[in-house]
Amino acid sequence: MDFAFKDEHIAFSDSIRKFLMVEAAPEWLREIWETETGRSRELRGKLAEQGLTALSVPEEFGGIGAGDLEWVLIHQELGYYAIPDSLIDTAYLATYLLNRLPADAALKKTWLPKIADGSARIAVGHPVNPMVADAQNADLILMWHDDEVHALAKDQVKLSFNPSIDMSRRLYKVTWTPSEATRICPARLGKQLWDGVLDRAALAGAAQLVGLTQRMLDLGIDYSATRKQFGKPIGSFQAVKHHLADVAVKAEFAKPVLYRAAYATEREQARRGVYVSHAKLAAGEAAWLGARKSMQVHGAMGYTWETDLQMFMKRAWALDAAWGDRAFHKKRIADFILADGARLGPGETFA
Amino acid sequence: MKVLVSVKRVVDYNVRIQVKSDGSGVVTDGVKFSMNPFDEIAMEEAVRLREKGKVTEIVAVTIGGAKNEETLRSALAFGADRAIHIKEEGEVQPLTAAKAFAAVLKKEGAQLFLCGKQAIDDDANQTGQMVASLLDIAQATFASKVEVDGSKAQITREIDAGLETLEVDLPAVVSVDLRLNEPRYLKLPDIMKAKKKPIETIGLGDVGVAVEAGTKTVKVAPPPARAKGVMVKTVDELVSALKAKGLV
Repeated sequence: MDFAFKDEHIAFSDSIRKFLMVEAAPEWLREIWETETGRSRELRGKLAEQGLTALSVPEEFGGIGAGDLEWVLIHQELGYYAIPDSLIDTAYLATYLLNRLPADAALKKTWLPKIADGSARIAVGHPVNPMVADAQNADLILMWHDDEVHALAKDQVKLSFNPSIDMSRRLYKVTWTPSEATRICPARLGKQLWDGVLDRAALAGAAQLVGLTQRMLDLGIDYSATRKQFGKPIGSFQAVKHHLADVAVKAEFAKPVLYRAAYATEREQARRGVYVSHAKLAAGEAAWLGARKSMQVHGAMGYTWETDLQMFMKRAWALDAAWGDRAFHKKRIADFILADGARLGPGETFA
Repeated sequence: MKVLVSVKRVVDYNVRIQVKSDGSGVVTDGVKFSMNPFDEIAMEEAVRLREKGKVTEIVAVTIGGAKNEETLRSALAFGADRAIHIKEEGEVQPLTAAKAFAAVLKKEGAQLFLCGKQAIDDDANQTGQMVASLLDIAQATFASKVEVDGSKAQITREIDAGLETLEVDLPAVVSVDLRLNEPRYLKLPDIMKAKKKPIETIGLGDVGVAVEAGTKTVKVAPPPARAKGVMVKTVDELVSALKAKGLV
């Protein structure tokens, strides 16, 4: 079995990394945070120009037609740079949902080309999240209701802002009334679609958490190399090195779990949900450890507004609870393991 | 007009280079490779010349092992129309590469050979000049501006005294410097399109070149560790310390 990513997967993530390294400096992200919308048209335009908004959209609608494996490495990069944008909700989740509507669905033909060219923002509301991210900027909001899919314009909903610990996240409580006119997919098909959305959203969260862990680790390493105590950089002391090494180990061990989940998701494997939950838990633990240890290395000043670390820590804490908190994902795994006749053990690892 | 651009696969510039314990070279196992940054600048210039309507076809060429195909795919994603892979798994020294590129340049009938001024792995800064010598054509090195007009090109180059402008007859070899341009980011759709572009694989024998080893690597060693500094309290003390080291 070949466990490696394909050259094109690596090429995608390399190109996005190079792009974000220059175009998403922390100083600029702070500026975007402080705008009224919290979003930048300029950044969105550049992300679209790079082809990110078109990644999942099928070629017939002007996209690239890539899958979950292409996305997982890109999610990691988006996490590493803590990109404040509704890109994932629009280009990954909404695209997945719209693309699986019946072939003659008008909504599909209307919105997929707009997603591909970067001119549309779409918010996605699922009951596992009490708030909908980026609803204020959305041109279309896709909402869950009893497993049905409903599509709403901004004038069909009432939005109440809910501040998040992560200032880059703009969360809204959405009040709306389901009707025949808003329903675009019945429950019998919708259930499967929403399960797919949930798994992909949790997978994207897990991948971003792995990226965030690496960023917090890098910030900790950089700081430990410059901050001196007793005439030496603090990074030369074993006690500090061990803290950072622990984070590196957690991050590395989360990666294969994440990649298995991405593989299972792309192939719609039956155990997809369990693998995704495992990935979300592993990535969440790594990110929390990364935040704690890096802050300790920074001497707690990492929490202050002036240091960049706080941006990434807050994003990690928020993402850890989004699209299913730890209790939710642990329960999914427990339900699988404790089920009657559960197929467990080494022989089932790659089943 | 056709342009040939040489691209080399090198250890990525972000990688912290480690020397092998036996001093025979640098560690390359598990290390990320990418296109030589100066060659990226050469690719970008070729694409810009095509966008200005001065160039009709861009051909990327590389020499090396099977993994070099990744570098050619990057060149195709940048905008090369097609690529030529001169496959050679063994060590390739500048003269061998130059002979192979010269043969390809002649065969293709390209009017311009663009390359990075040097590769960041060996910093040899030889291949471009050798190609020009082998074919007895004009060369302009360290270009910071390239303007093509018909059968001539004006090249601005950075020299110690400032900027020097040369006019060369085509065909010519131009090696590019850092400030010529800023290479564009590769876009995802272009990476996908690159998968469908043709790569012709040939051997050194196909271009009538044999592997030559004119130089031998005797030893590779890391730079010496930086010595601890000395704090001085007065200017006189500083001058004395510099004199003691024979620096003033």
